[in-house]
Amino acid sequence: MTGMTEFDVQEQGNAPFAEEQMPRMAQDGIHAGFPSPATDYMTQAIDLNRELVKHPAATFYGRVVGDSMMDAGVEEGDILVIDKALDPQDGDMAVCFVDGEFTLKYLRFHDGGLVLVPANDRYPSIEISEGTDFKMWGVVTYVIKRVR
Amino acid sequence: MFALVDCNNFFVSCERVFRPQLEGKAVVVLSNNDGCVVSRSNESKAMGIKMCTPFYKVKHLVDEGRLHACSSNYALYGDLSNRVMSLLADAVPKIEIYSIDEAFLHLDGIDPDKVPLLCREIVEKVRKWVGVPVSVGVAPTKTLAKIASHFAKKYKGYKGVCMMDTDAKRLKALELTPIDDVWGIGRRLAPKLVEKGVRTALDLVSRPKEWVSANLNLPGVRTWEELRGNACHEEEHEDRRQSICTSRSFADMIEDEKELVLRVSDFAAMCAQKLREEHSAAHDVTTFLYTNRFRDDLAQYFPSATIHLDVAANSAQEIVGAALKALRTVYRPGYRYKKAGVIVSRIISDDAIQSSLFDFDDGLRQKHDRLSKVMDAVNSAAEVSGSASGRSLLRLATQRPGHYADGIRSDFRSRLYSTSMDDIIEVK
Repeated sequence: MTGMTEFDVQEQGNAPFAEEQMPRMAQDGIHAGFPSPATDYMTQAIDLNRELVKHPAATFYGRVVGDSMMDAGVEEGDILVIDKALDPQDGDMAVCFVDGEFTLKYLRFHDGGLVLVPANDRYPSIEISEGTDFKMWGVVTYVIKRVR
Repeated sequence: MFALVDCNNFFVSCERVFRPQLEGKAVVVLSNNDGCVVSRSNESKAMGIKMCTPFYKVKHLVDEGRLHACSSNYALYGDLSNRVMSLLADAVPKIEIYSIDEAFLHLDGIDPDKVPLLCREIVEKVRKWVGVPVSVGVAPTKTLAKIASHFAKKYKGYKGVCMMDTDAKRLKALELTPIDDVWGIGRRLAPKLVEKGVRTALDLVSRPKEWVSANLNLPGVRTWEELRGNACHEEEHEDRRQSICTSRSFADMIEDEKELVLRVSDFAAMCAQKLREEHSAAHDVTTFLYTNRFRDDLAQYFPSATIHLDVAANSAQEIVGAALKALRTVYRPGYRYKKAGVIVSRIISDDAIQSSLFDFDDGLRQKHDRLSKVMDAVNSAAEVSGSASGRSLLRLATQRPGHYADGIRSDFRSRLYSTSMDDIIEVK
């Protein structure tokens, strides 16, 4: 059994790659009038989804609350593009789940341990130990900021 | 070989992605209007809470803080389901989406030695990328793959992947599977079989063909064959020659998803119209794409995805909706597509449509029927007068998948974390 798709296409007498059997409908719609001179230059407009989201199945968004990453230029209301597909590396900005809430911090790996480091002197670093209620949620790839 | 990929406790798992504090806790998700339990975490299963338990019977547990109840959040589950399915479509060329939380992968053509690793990678990738745990069962037939996935889910030792790749494993698994857990053995049939001494799947396969033919109907005989390792669910289509395919090659290759959405909508609407003309309805809707095989300078991609409908359909809304869901699962940017098509299969007579157990809206169905009739009437009139240039005059505005109506009760609904900008997670 080659699979349903192949079988069904053959049943219709329409082999998967045959170009000559185009029943009823014209091959590519109906064309009328003069072709636009722009047709040859037709291309896609920039699509931010495609530029900023490398792994659509793994990408989620978050909104910044508070000022713990202020010195990194990340402020309340900014939108985070979070990619769960990426392996966290030293120096990444990441969303983690610590003690019942999501937190945004820099990751510092050293001596097999992990410290979550804020970008604001008024906040303490968080040492992750065996007993910490901690879950790595995703790596931040972009911060989107509204400027007007 | 087939692999059944099944999301564990899917609705509860979706809730936990955005509320990790629910990990390790007893959690249930309730049906529409917070009526009854439709998804349970392992912890709430261990408390003895059964599927379909009315909410009022467990409400005291919620009040005591021992159980967490969530209203259903179908927009969230639907989005996470699409993400899971698109990862599965990346892993193999052909998938069949059986329900919101399970899909069959066709493994023919994949080196059998590589299958265990492939499945393990699927489990890890879906868990990491989407955050949802899945179990995979691999076996020679779909019915056996379903059983294998139960084992993958039940026993931690399998680490999410159960390979039923020898006869010894098959027989052992059948011995441990009660007859009412077998896919295709209905709730009415199971007690009758038990009466006749058939308690396990192994008891059933041990019966000779004559006994099976005399005591079971045709689907039952097929289940027996499948349990013996002979694939039937595929041949079913071939025997009856029941499918309708609408496909076209494009004059110019298409890369843009929006353009493909329009083409596939047309193909699906034509399939639906054909179904209605024949007074039939289909259970499966497949969308396939082909790149240009003769252009070896271009990247090649020949995916297909099948959507299984619980209730057979022939309205343009439902067929187009399913075809587009399949398209979105397999579409990848960066390829130039030469051909696309829609196949509807598992066709039944439209007076034999049976509603599914859950969430079937008969009123909505009748509305679709009436709308389809109007569309057919206008389109055929237009065809006669020659005004539609070979294209249907009335078409569906291609819609977004349905959001559930306002006004239903959902006191404990979580936010639309992945589908509404106002509802995204807050990060401190």
